[in-house]
Amino acid sequence: MDIFLQQVINALVVGTFYGLIALGYSMVYGIIRLLNFAHGDLFMLGAFAGFSVLSLFTGQVGFIGIGLALIVSVLVVGLIGLGVERIAYRPLIKKKSPKLNLLITAVGVSLAIEYAVMLSYGPSFRVYPIQLPNTGFHIGDVKITYIQLGIILFTILIMIFLQLFIHKSIYGKAMRSIAIDDTATSLMGIPVHRFIGLTFFMGSGLAAVAGVMDGIYYGQINFLMGFLFGLKAFTAAVIGGIGSVNGAMLGGLVLGIVETLGTVYVGGEWKDVFAFGILILFLVLKPTGLLGEAVNERV
Amino acid sequence: MTPILEFSNVDAFYGKIHALQNVSFTVKEGEITALLGSNGAGKSTILKAISGLVQVRSGTIRFMGEVIHQKLPHDIVSQGIIQVPEGRRIFGSMTVLENLELGGFTQRKDHRFLKQTLELIFTLFPRLKERAKQKAGTLSGGEQQMVAIGRALMGKPKLLMLDEPSMGLAPIVVKDIMKIISQINQQGTTVLLVEQNARAALKLAHTGYVVETGEITLSGSTEQLSQDHNIIHAYLA
Repeated sequence: MDIFLQQVINALVVGTFYGLIALGYSMVYGIIRLLNFAHGDLFMLGAFAGFSVLSLFTGQVGFIGIGLALIVSVLVVGLIGLGVERIAYRPLIKKKSPKLNLLITAVGVSLAIEYAVMLSYGPSFRVYPIQLPNTGFHIGDVKITYIQLGIILFTILIMIFLQLFIHKSIYGKAMRSIAIDDTATSLMGIPVHRFIGLTFFMGSGLAAVAGVMDGIYYGQINFLMGFLFGLKAFTAAVIGGIGSVNGAMLGGLVLGIVETLGTVYVGGEWKDVFAFGILILFLVLKPTGLLGEAVNERV
Repeated sequence: MTPILEFSNVDAFYGKIHALQNVSFTVKEGEITALLGSNGAGKSTILKAISGLVQVRSGTIRFMGEVIHQKLPHDIVSQGIIQVPEGRRIFGSMTVLENLELGGFTQRKDHRFLKQTLELIFTLFPRLKERAKQKAGTLSGGEQQMVAIGRALMGKPKLLMLDEPSMGLAPIVVKDIMKIISQINQQGTTVLLVEQNARAALKLAHTGYVVETGEITLSGSTEQLSQDHNIIHAYLA
């Protein structure tokens, strides 16, 4: 039982990473029906942006360093996400190109980002320039480190903020209405393209947060880390119901748990088989996911 | 009275169809102007051209003297030209209140105006007040039309354009909606009404234009039009 609970705690941490990345996937899909396959690479960029900031510190990196790394990473990656939309996707959307063209463009963007980072930072794994003590506290025999606790609490905070933004603010409501009917939304005097840009900024920023936290948690990063994580996050988004914000986070947690338990009880080499097996199961049996609605309100 | 909207020699294409051919008309400030004609005549395209949803190939559209036909839809709305689109296009999975709030997007800084207008809408349509927290998609057709009109009012229209507000509604409900449109007009909002239901539209409007296959074929005061043999024959008989 204790091993089980211990693994659930570990799974929750992985799950928050998947969830945070899945949020961007889902929000972008909701608003322009695009599977942004470059999204995992924005997560990777976030990790590298945080890496660069943390490298500036010599000696002890405190909360200020981590905070600064998060802020810079969110801003930089958010702006890059915005730029990707502006340069790569918007011209195609304006021309009403087929969805397949957008998808292929997304794969192109993904490769461009990956290899740009490889050329800038090198192809090998880099050690994250921060050492946090592995201390924590025990509940029974289950150990929770302060890093794990911090990651989970910070993610909860982000989710609360996101909920308030999407459901209470007029800007969040505008994003939701674009997902339902963009033409009608423009007739409300709402600048639709600016809000699509905002969605990309927010989604990319959330991926960047996950990237920095991932770097701190696992201690090493690599230019290809976004590929598999991106696909897993996509899986999480599908499990939760693509387009649904709560679904993305829930899907991330479910995937984290399934994957971790599979690792423990069947074997680590089966981890990805579990992750993508569950993707296929959902696509076949419940393509709308756990929280996806049949009606198309999707952000 | 001076025209608030001047639509001069406009040509527009809808896909490959030459939807508007050298169309000219004006909307006088304070009046209700009706565009009549059968399905596919180009009435909706006229509204879409004004709202910036359809590109104008040649000709000009002026609003309060200013050329607007190269502006983006949201900028045109900010100027006070607000359309209630055909088929209502309400946000069905959002609440009635959220729909109305979105209509007030351009006025989002003016809290007092939004509050007053919301109260006005709830007096015009008491039923919307009861259903404010309900998802708009669960409302009846007539109620959805009320949401669509209320949503437009929240944007502070100087020119309110309605595309087939009677479509798909029961005759009694049509009467209600027409009465409300008349009330809105009497409170000072200029109205441009597109209708297939010529009888209802002629009763309501001051000036009318008949649109046929992308051209304006008749125009005049609604008293004149109601007595015109062609109109009686084609639309009222």
